Amino acid sequence: MYKRYHIETSPVELSTTKIGKFEIIRNDSCLNCGRCMTHCIYDVHKRDSDDPRIMSDPVNHLCKNCFSCIQNCPYQALEMIKNKEFEKLGNTYWTPQIIHTIWNEAEEGKIPIFGAGYRGPFRGSGFDDIWTDMSEIVRPTRDGIHGREYIATSVDLGRKLPWISDFAKLDLTNSYEIQIPMLLDTSPLGLNSRGIILPIIKAAHKLGTLAFLDIENYFDELKPYLKSIALRCSLDKITHLDRAPWREANFIEIALPQKYSISELERVLKKLKSENQTALISLGLTNPSLSAGIFKQFKEARADILNFYADNHGQSFEGNIFICESTRKLQLDLVKERMRDEVTILGKGGIAAAEHVPKIIICGADAAVLDLSLLVAAGCRVCKVCKIDDCPVELEKLDPEIAEQRIINMICAWRDQLLEILSAMGIRDVRRLRGEKGRAIFHEEIERESFEFIFKENGPVK
Amino acid sequence: MKSVEIRNCNSRFHKNIGKYTVSLKDSCFHCGLCVEICPYCVFDRIDGFNHVSTPNSAGCLGPDCKEGPYYCTTKCPVDAIKIELDPQWKTLGDFRWTPDLIITTWQQAETGEIPRGNLEYRIGASGGGFDVFDFTIDDVTAISSEEIDNIITSDKISTSICLNRRGEGPSIEIPVPWYGAGMSFGSISLPSILARAHSAKAWKTFTSTGEGGYPDELIPYSNHVITQIATGLFGVSEETIKRTPIIEFKYAQGAKPGLGGHLLGDKNTPGVAKMRETVPWNSLFSPFPFHSVYSVEDHKKHIDWVKTINPDALISVKVSTPSDVDMVAVGSYYAGANIIHLDGGYGGTGAAPEIAKKNIAMPIEYAITKVHKFLLEEGVREEIVLLASGGIRTAFDIAKSIVLGADGAIIGTSDLIALGCVRCGNCESGRGCPRGIATTDPELEKQIDPSWGAQRIINLYASWQKQLKLLLYKLGLKDIKELRGRTDFLKHIDEK
Repeated sequence: MYKRYHIETSPVELSTTKIGKFEIIRNDSCLNCGRCMTHCIYDVHKRDSDDPRIMSDPVNHLCKNCFSCIQNCPYQALEMIKNKEFEKLGNTYWTPQIIHTIWNEAEEGKIPIFGAGYRGPFRGSGFDDIWTDMSEIVRPTRDGIHGREYIATSVDLGRKLPWISDFAKLDLTNSYEIQIPMLLDTSPLGLNSRGIILPIIKAAHKLGTLAFLDIENYFDELKPYLKSIALRCSLDKITHLDRAPWREANFIEIALPQKYSISELERVLKKLKSENQTALISLGLTNPSLSAGIFKQFKEARADILNFYADNHGQSFEGNIFICESTRKLQLDLVKERMRDEVTILGKGGIAAAEHVPKIIICGADAAVLDLSLLVAAGCRVCKVCKIDDCPVELEKLDPEIAEQRIINMICAWRDQLLEILSAMGIRDVRRLRGEKGRAIFHEEIERESFEFIFKENGPVK
Repeated sequence: MKSVEIRNCNSRFHKNIGKYTVSLKDSCFHCGLCVEICPYCVFDRIDGFNHVSTPNSAGCLGPDCKEGPYYCTTKCPVDAIKIELDPQWKTLGDFRWTPDLIITTWQQAETGEIPRGNLEYRIGASGGGFDVFDFTIDDVTAISSEEIDNIITSDKISTSICLNRRGEGPSIEIPVPWYGAGMSFGSISLPSILARAHSAKAWKTFTSTGEGGYPDELIPYSNHVITQIATGLFGVSEETIKRTPIIEFKYAQGAKPGLGGHLLGDKNTPGVAKMRETVPWNSLFSPFPFHSVYSVEDHKKHIDWVKTINPDALISVKVSTPSDVDMVAVGSYYAGANIIHLDGGYGGTGAAPEIAKKNIAMPIEYAITKVHKFLLEEGVREEIVLLASGGIRTAFDIAKSIVLGADGAIIGTSDLIALGCVRCGNCESGRGCPRGIATTDPELEKQIDPSWGAQRIINLYASWQKQLKLLLYKLGLKDIKELRGRTDFLKHIDEK
């Protein structure tokens, strides 16, 4: 029977993520009159359960910053300050707000919805320099009664042949359909503990997508999930190609070091193909600037997928280009060379929020690879230095089922938000979003188009 | 024109929030000198008491006061007054609505005067769009306070705009270049709606029903209430269409473009459900788009339909800001619209996905120029009224929209700020707004008295009109209509 793709969510709370943005301080002027309690509709203020004559300390993580208690207090006994614990989360890219949003998505599995308008900066760098488009007149995407029409989020990994010249020489490689344009990665921070690998792989399995796993972290309990694993090894370390699990893997990624020899790559790929004829082969690249020549070499070596690695801030390891820009350029180059469909493009690194997925796809990727965000879903705070033994949230000891469900919840929320973006555009298939630069508004272009005439005599736009 | 009555209208809270905290050290011997010298009522001594009351910090101007004759800290004989930056200040507001903007909007709602002191009341801190534009005027030019009074009270400078430029149909002129945006019964409370309607009537401008029906309590204000027809058609009937001077077709909303409308179940109380002819406590989704409109021809058919019911009404078409918004605007013009209402991506909402507010469709600043230019090229600009909304927070935002090419603006969030909103953003679910503004909870909504609220909005509008008149004067203009498209008056804020 036909079944619609559906992600099963269930709310999972995690005590380590109960960090409110604000802290309410009750000073000595408090008379314990309880007026704050009547004005707070979020249960921040309560009487002490042992001694009801006094007010207990405010439950800060429930506070929603409405100032009702503060402004209604007859004795000016309450004050709100920013919570330092909250401000300490993450870094300049993985901002406290981004981490907080992921935590909420991982807890609820729902799209974040709030009242009042947008509250952030006009624009930012990287992903925040792009707005996605909408269409005023489209086929209905949301019906008042019947909900929403089906929008496909599945994408194909693998090459599509431009034409078939000889059926006898047809490649055995199949293209592989994943249900969401998101792949998971098990080693975002070098945090290769089994405690976090297993939940990520199981989540990928349930979600109908793939999880990347470095071969040295492979262990036998993972065997039932091998179909959902993309096995990865660096080109200079790859050995034992004739053994399981290389022979049984569905999907293999060869990470290319900064310097590598193309003949060595050809040799390894040939060997891989002879041992495992159906596996899709991906190349992991740190340098996003590819010439048409190199690309042709990859194609001849029969790589199906190119996965571009960037760091956790979305900057490429070589050349320091932001992942959006490099992907846009790559997309244009490949289209120009008429080779775009002969390879799948993935982008990994810096995918930190739901909107980054459609945006990287608009820039030209077929799908995004999530890494650090999965750890954040499991409760990670993105500390400056990650020490597995000294983790403030004890990620290693986290119940694997909780971690798995929180990852699934977050991805469900991200997929639902992708649907919002697609439906606003009137697009019914995420495959059609790939490289659709015309369905996005880029800051630099629109600024020039709109304001150049304004500043013509008074100097350039900043 | 009889002038609008401006009355002082204080905050409804015990404690107000300000930028500074003023405290008295233990050394204070309660001489009361500070009570005498402070003109901003920070200090008070209740009759019959020896002690000076806890200072009302919100009134304090902070170091700005230093140059003046009232600086209490140096005058205090025992040096007992301490003025510090309030750490709480940082918890208020956001990039678009900075604490300065929120507080100064409250001040204007209280007094009806242009804010004094050093708080920034013209722009936010979003780092783009309106917030990086400045007018090319020399602010140093000394204008005496009497001269200012003359300018802002006289009728020599006009801020009025006409809402029908087609040369047929009724002529409607509003004395200020803005009216109120659609906010439905359901997203905000009835007292808030009445406060807005009352102020619209006082200012002879308009407010809009939004997509939530037309409560009977609004009928006394019907000459100043726009009936909105949105995709869910909630609460739209022949009577409400007949009753109104302007009909607004809402195709999309800037905060959630292309996603229809949302009213989460918690807020769909029996009263709201009755007005919308729906089942209480169920989440309501307006579809997107109008299921009967897939072309400009269909749109024309829609307009013909309401024109048959109410031939005298002006037609406004509210669209959000996709990259082809210019085409949509021209299409609407040919379908017979009098007003094109552009709602930018950073606009307000009762409930919307965060991803939509931030990412979908462009900010209003870009859309205004785009549409204005295109309408000019098409040769129809002088026959249509272009109004902008979605992130218009201050009188200066309105002026900048007009400079970019709009005729006027449409105001939503600022009205709510005048009623005491802190933009905490929790209006979408549960009992709604804890401050009683955007709620349908019968207990919470009692916090707003409609006549108090109306006066607050009236005062805010008064201050805005004064600012616009003063700005026009400084630019050497006599009429707000002369400002349209004068981009030569704008510069980048960093430019000297």
